[in-house]
This record gives sequence, structure tokens and C-alpha cells, in this order.
Amino acid sequence: MKRILALACASALVLAGCGTKGGGSDSGGEGAGGVQTDVGVTDSEITLGVMTDQTGPFKNLSTGITHGNELWVKDVNAAGGICDRQLKLRIVDHGYKADTAKTLYPQIEPNVLGLVQLVGSPVTAALSGDLESDEMTTTPASWSSELLSNPYLMVVGTTYDVEMIDGLSYLQEEGMISDGDTVGHIYIDGEYGANGLRGARYYAEQHDLKLREVKITSSDNDLTNVVTGLRGQGVKAILLTTTPTQTGSVAAANKALGLNVPILGNNPTFDPLLHQSPAANALDKLYVVASSVPFSADIDKAREVARKYEEAGFTEPPNAGVPYGYAVAEVWGTVLRKACENKDLTRAGVHKALQQTTSAETGDLVAELDFSQPGAPATRQVYVAQPDASVEGGMKYVKPLFESEDAKGYKAPHQQ
Amino acid sequence: METFVQLVVNGLGKGAVFALLALGFVVIFKATEVVNFAHGSLVLFGGYLVVATRETLGWAGAVVVGIVGAGLLALLVERLLLSRSKLADPFSLALLTIGVDVIITEEIVRRLGVSLPFIGDAWDAQPIQAGGVTLFRTHLVALVVATVLITLFFIAFRYSNWGIAMRAQAENKEAAALVGIRSARVTATAWLVAGLLAGVAVLFIATQDFSGAGLSRGTHSIALAAFPAAILGGLDSTAGAIVGGIVVGLVDALSTHYVSFAFSKSAVFLVMLLVLVIRPSGLFGTRETTRV
Repeated sequence: MKRILALACASALVLAGCGTKGGGSDSGGEGAGGVQTDVGVTDSEITLGVMTDQTGPFKNLSTGITHGNELWVKDVNAAGGICDRQLKLRIVDHGYKADTAKTLYPQIEPNVLGLVQLVGSPVTAALSGDLESDEMTTTPASWSSELLSNPYLMVVGTTYDVEMIDGLSYLQEEGMISDGDTVGHIYIDGEYGANGLRGARYYAEQHDLKLREVKITSSDNDLTNVVTGLRGQGVKAILLTTTPTQTGSVAAANKALGLNVPILGNNPTFDPLLHQSPAANALDKLYVVASSVPFSADIDKAREVARKYEEAGFTEPPNAGVPYGYAVAEVWGTVLRKACENKDLTRAGVHKALQQTTSAETGDLVAELDFSQPGAPATRQVYVAQPDASVEGGMKYVKPLFESEDAKGYKAPHQQ
Repeated sequence: METFVQLVVNGLGKGAVFALLALGFVVIFKATEVVNFAHGSLVLFGGYLVVATRETLGWAGAVVVGIVGAGLLALLVERLLLSRSKLADPFSLALLTIGVDVIITEEIVRRLGVSLPFIGDAWDAQPIQAGGVTLFRTHLVALVVATVLITLFFIAFRYSNWGIAMRAQAENKEAAALVGIRSARVTATAWLVAGLLAGVAVLFIATQDFSGAGLSRGTHSIALAAFPAAILGGLDSTAGAIVGGIVVGLVDALSTHYVSFAFSKSAVFLVMLLVLVIRPSGLFGTRETTRV
């Protein structure tokens, strides 16, 4: 009898442990101001999640984005909050590891309304199903066009494939490459790299470029032998969909080996800390493509964010992540206000509000966004920047926002 | 041909650092038959001391602190943990070093935070051009330092009292103890030397030229990547450590270009397996013989 009782108790415990996750809108209720609420919202607070990389290969960019998010939260709270509620961020570090993120997600999920930051293509891919089933509106700090199939993911900016197409057309326009040339592309294994490569392959097809592809992982930091090989293949340019550390290695080898070809990188490939690395004097051939502004952009809103960053006393050197993090949070602000107007701050309510938001004001921190075409990037405009140690944020514009003809004709993987 | 020569030069340069790292494994294994999996954390610790003291002491002073500090930490690990487990077999002690490795590594990675400091100030990213070939200064200095240290080690091993005692202990621990060799002293010195070697190696690893990255978790992984070099050469052979290091450097460089970058990572292990199939004790390792 005792044995049966013990077995019954054990079964009950196991079943309790295996219970379904919270989330969704099934636990909703009416809160202060007659607003419907469910997860992550109380009568006085709205909690948003930040799943970031504080210890992995994108820790500097991610820290910049997080500080951008924090600056916005501070501003909004000082102005009285949203829907009479103060905003709060719950920050966790997954170190750019999908398995760690998988473990952290169930801990953060029952406490947040949505994710204002989710860093990393592999992490976003791993959590995509959970985000959809939990109706968790999320802004990935990852710009793969493959993500656009998930309606809960709001990609602010253009995507890696489009960045590459626009960037290559810039190199060609400037006479750095020509039709028929050989071009090397070093890319990280995974969605980030694959999406950058997709753009490069499309452009190579249109312009008869011979693409030499080299797949690496995010932890391969010495690329001297790879660049030695590309030199032997006579490349006229090197494309990068890599981490900033890897960019430093390629730039240093490009110079040391006397190759000296232009290097074109997707937006996460640069970090101002490269100016303090031994690769600093080898960055003159690097061109970075992105659709959000550099930290020191000559735009009112960017200057305002830069001033606030300084006043906040953050110790980390600023980067393009700061204005981007602020801009993304601004988009969130617009969505939350809309949800508040609709008297529905549940997850489903936030998603509905997002669908009703056709454009969000970011003070030009990111290119003009249009979310109305399902599966298509919200913009195809990019700017081209080059490293410049003399400006704060370490990058200067060399070409203002533009959209190439090749990018206009490109069809993203989930574009309808 | 130009590409081939450049790859060989790259491989030899990296091989010198792998040899220094492999020697660290060999010294301890030779004296105690313990495989020290904490070698990567000793490397990281030496580098961290350089970073922490560079501003106040200057780079040269910080380098001395880093090397000595890594040596002392190794000594401390041996004195406080391993020497108290005299009856434990070498496999248990190897597991113990894994625990030590995790604790030290995680603490240093935590302390480093978002910074990725490079520490090869005197030689990093200052390439020399010689007849169409680029010589990376870090590789050249590493080659010189490795040659000097390994020569010194050979001399000490052959002619000093410690070297003779260590050889005797490696041959037969009980017999060595019976003739009055103080096993504790030999073992402690071996750990100290391995720690010092780790402190030297990190000065070449956390550089743009060698790893492309500053001091980080990656530095630790590179230190452990020297393990195949030690196995390949023979875990109890000093000469094997050198040859193993160079083989690892060359295989890595050449397979990256002539096969693929992805293959280069497994290529080193494939070569190691191949060697072990033909010579189970490594290229220069002592063959175990059992009298029946």
C-alpha cells in the first residue's frame, strides 16, 4: 500500500513538473484603467524581456543595444510611462548559444509581455516556435530574411541578404569590382551567414561574379590561412558575414599579406573596439552596410541619444547598437500605446496593435519602415559606412541611405 | 607556389606556440603520469595577470608578473590539491584538474566581461615582408622563444639534478623514492615549469597574428587544441612535443586551403588518430613493455 501511495505521489509530482507553460492570453483579466492584461503587465508595471549576448561573440553590439533599450525606458518612465504603467526590462544573457537560450526562455517567458531584444540568428531560430506558440511579439537583433515567416517577429531594418546586394552594388558603382570578377565570401555557419550568402549569390548570378565561399563558425577567430587561400585565388574583394573579431582578423591578414582588396561587411561585422585592437591600422579597406545609423550620425535624434548615453555614465564605448536599441524600443512604444488605446495589453492585444502599426516614428534612426508586405523586408535602404577612429562610435558615412536596382528586384525567401 | 610557401610559414609559426603548449602537458605527464586538463586555465590566468597589471607596471613588468603568476598558480594547485591525494590514481587526478580548470576559467571569463584584450604588444600585427612572403612577427618571436626554452629544458633534463631525478621518477617511482629522490619536490617543480610555460605561451596566443582574438574563452580553447600535439608526439616525449606542435600547425594551415576550412579542424585529429594506430605511444613516446 505504502509503495502504491509513494508511486502516486511521485506521479503527481512528475505531472506537476510537466505542466504546460504559462503564456498566451488564456489567463487574462481586466487591470487598472479597464485595460485587459495577461503576462508581464500589472496595474503599475509593464515588463519587457531582453535576451542578449553579454559574454559571447556579439557582446559589444548587444550591450550597445541593451543600453539603447535602457535609455528609452528611462525616458518613457520619466514622462509618466505608458498606459499609466512604468516600464521595466528583464535582462538575461545567453552568450549567443541557442541551448542556453532554450534553458533561459522558460524562466523569462512567464514574466514578460514581449521581447524588446532577442540577439542572434541561431537563438532566434531555436526559439521561433516557442515565440509563436506563446504569442510573444519579439524584436530580434538579427536581420535574417528567413525570420520573416514568423508573424510575431518584427525585424526593424533591412535584412542581411539585402545589405549584401546593396553593398556589392556600391562596390561596383565605385569601380572596386567588375562583372566577372572573383570575390571571396567568408560567412558564419548558421542563419546569419546563410542569409548574407543568399544575397551575395543573388548578386553574383546577376553580375557573373565567381564567388569563393568559406564557411566558418562563430568561434573561429584566426582567418589568416583563409585569407592566404583567397589571395591565391585572385579575389578582388572579400565579403564578410562574420563577428567583429573575425573582421579584425581578415582586415589584418588582408593588409599583412599585401592583398589590400576592399572588404564588405554586414552590419554586425563592425565594432568600434576594433579601433583599439592590433587590427586598427588595417581597417581602411572595410565597408559596412546597415539600415540603422551609426552612433555619431549627423541626425538630431542620434545626437540626442548620444548625449543621453554620455549622461547615463555607461562605461562601455558606444556603438551603432545604441541608436538601434533606442529606435527599436521607440517602435515598441508606438505599439504599446496603440494596444493601450485598444484597451488590450495582453500578448494577443500587442500583436494586434503591431499589425495595425504601418509605420513607427524613430526620428530617422532607422530607414523608413513598411511592415505591410508579409514576408518582405521592412526596408531595402542601407547606408555604407567606413571605420573612423576620430568619431564617437567609430564609423562615418561614406554613402547616405540608398536602395540599389538589384535590391529592388530581389525576392526575399518568404516574400508573397 | 606562393600560397603554399605562405601557408607553410603560417603553419610553422603557429606550430612553435603549439609546441610550447604541448611541452606544458608533457612536463607534468612525464613527472606524474597525470594529464593536466587545467593547462588552458593556467594560460588564461597568466594572460589575465598581464591585463590586470599592464597599466601600473608597464607591459614588460606585467609580462613577468603573468609568467611567474601562472607558474605559482600551477604550484599551488599541485601543493594544495594533487599532493594531498597521493594514493589516487592518475586518472582521478586528471579528472580533478578538469574541475580546477572549470573554476579558474569561468572566474577569469567573468572578470574579463566584455573586454577582449590583446597582450602581444611588443610583436603583434607588425609583419615583415621577405621576398613575397609575409612573416608574422609574433610567429618569429614565438619560434625563437620556443627554441631557447626547449633547448634549456633539454639541457636541464639531461644534466641538472632535477632532470635526472625526474627521469628516474618517470622510469620507476618507487625505486626513485628508495634511492632518496624526493618525489614531492620533483612533482612540484614539474608543475611550476608547466605553469611558467603556460604564462609564456599566452603572450603569443592572445594576439592578432596567432588567434585573431584577445584574451577570452577562445584562448583557453586554443590551449586545449595543443593536446593533440602532445598526444601525437608522445605524451612523455619532449622532442615529441616539438614535432607534434609543428605537425599540428602545418596540418591546420595546409588543410584549410587545400581541403576546406571546416575539414582543417578535424584534420589535426585525423592525423593524431592515424599516428596512434601506427604508433600507439605517439611518434616519440616510450613504448610500454610488459614482462610476462
